[in-house]
Amino acid sequence: MGFMDTLNIFLKPNSSGNATALTVLCPIINRVVDGRSSADIVRERCLRLPIHEKSPLAKVPNTYLARIFILDNVFYESLPGSDSIFNFSEITSIFSDKSRIGALPQKDQLKSKYLVFSSNFHGDLDAYLRGMWDKWSYDDNGQQRDVRYIWENCVAFGGVTDSSSFISYMKRCQLNSALFFNGSTDDSLQEQLKALYLKQEFSKFAAAHQGESAADLQQAFKVFIEQVQPSNLSGPSWEPGQSKP
Amino acid sequence: MSNIAGKAYAMNVITPIPWYKAWLNWVIFKAALLVPNVLNGLLTLSLIHYARWVIIPKGKFPHLDASQPKEELKYSYMLFFSNFNGSWDQYVDSFTFAIPSGLDLFWKMNVRYPKSVPLTPFHNYIQHNQIDTSHYYNAYPMAASNDVKSAKNVKKALIDFNSASANKDPDEFLKDYHNLLNQLQHDFGEMRPTPIVSLAAQAVKERYSAEH
Repeated sequence: MGFMDTLNIFLKPNSSGNATALTVLCPIINRVVDGRSSADIVRERCLRLPIHEKSPLAKVPNTYLARIFILDNVFYESLPGSDSIFNFSEITSIFSDKSRIGALPQKDQLKSKYLVFSSNFHGDLDAYLRGMWDKWSYDDNGQQRDVRYIWENCVAFGGVTDSSSFISYMKRCQLNSALFFNGSTDDSLQEQLKALYLKQEFSKFAAAHQGESAADLQQAFKVFIEQVQPSNLSGPSWEPGQSKP
Repeated sequence: MSNIAGKAYAMNVITPIPWYKAWLNWVIFKAALLVPNVLNGLLTLSLIHYARWVIIPKGKFPHLDASQPKEELKYSYMLFFSNFNGSWDQYVDSFTFAIPSGLDLFWKMNVRYPKSVPLTPFHNYIQHNQIDTSHYYNAYPMAASNDVKSAKNVKKALIDFNSASANKDPDEFLKDYHNLLNQLQHDFGEMRPTPIVSLAAQAVKERYSAEH
């Protein structure tokens, strides 16, 4: 591992090559609107988002995989478990009920609920967030929605009016990765989708042209290459979120 | 609500960690990145597209405005996000059976972590601390992580082959073509929205088909 690679582990904690991890916790306004909490409104809007190729994230350039959920609260660790280091309460609690009860995990409560957005994408963070602001779009029962429809119940989002303020807002809510593991590639989404398309089509070609004469196969291969255009990323390919062959 | 998008499953886990151990956990994560062999087990499993751990120190939940109450927590928190292929059980089991020590290394500082072996307490721990996803997007729902990696090999090999062999004499072309198939035999395979590995995935498919 080179010096720069080592340095980047600390300087670029959200990067693995050209792949980037974005983790954002946006506090939701603690209020009730028409008998419903803001958190429930946000949750319902997220649940109604269309999926696969109709998801608004299919329009945000270079999104590999992304998710949204509401963090309502943290969990109390009531299950038995082991300790990383010997726990002296194991001895003291033999002699004292207070000691035994004192060794129980403490209870935490969040004072706000949070909209959690986690994305894995290719490239630069600012460009990605600009893409979210500009391109996020979906049909919600006949109404076109943009990114504000999901985020507008978050604290301080009222000040977001353009892509620059959206980028600033998301960065205020951003958390760095302690470890970002890339088990896939860090190519652009366009490259990944083109490669998947070629794998699909060439697998079909190979199966369909077994046993052919050399001349026939060569001719068929040339036609195949003209159709699939392997080096042309703008040519035939899979679409983002494509869920059917 | 769905944790599933095609062949990928979204797992979200939040666990408390004593604030005085959270920094040590951070150091362990950075050390794992500096010593690549530590992550070899995860790479060999090849179930995962992308995964990450995030540590939120005690006072560092985002606080944007005076109108928002400041969190007063006793613990720091660790978030785990994973995008993997296969079912929940296959994934969690794979950690227990394939890389238990690696898992323990990353989670051992967390409150009441039961260790990854035996299986049942570890299953219970993950289930107890898991949060369901409201919306999950996958740019290639028909593809597993191995498909994305093998597709890259196919693309390169196809372009190289076309450049080098497409215009040779037919017999030479055929010889090179057979070599190409041999080279790519582990990378081939048509991708479809199957197999369905869980009832939940089947339910998502049926709901989507009904709506479209």
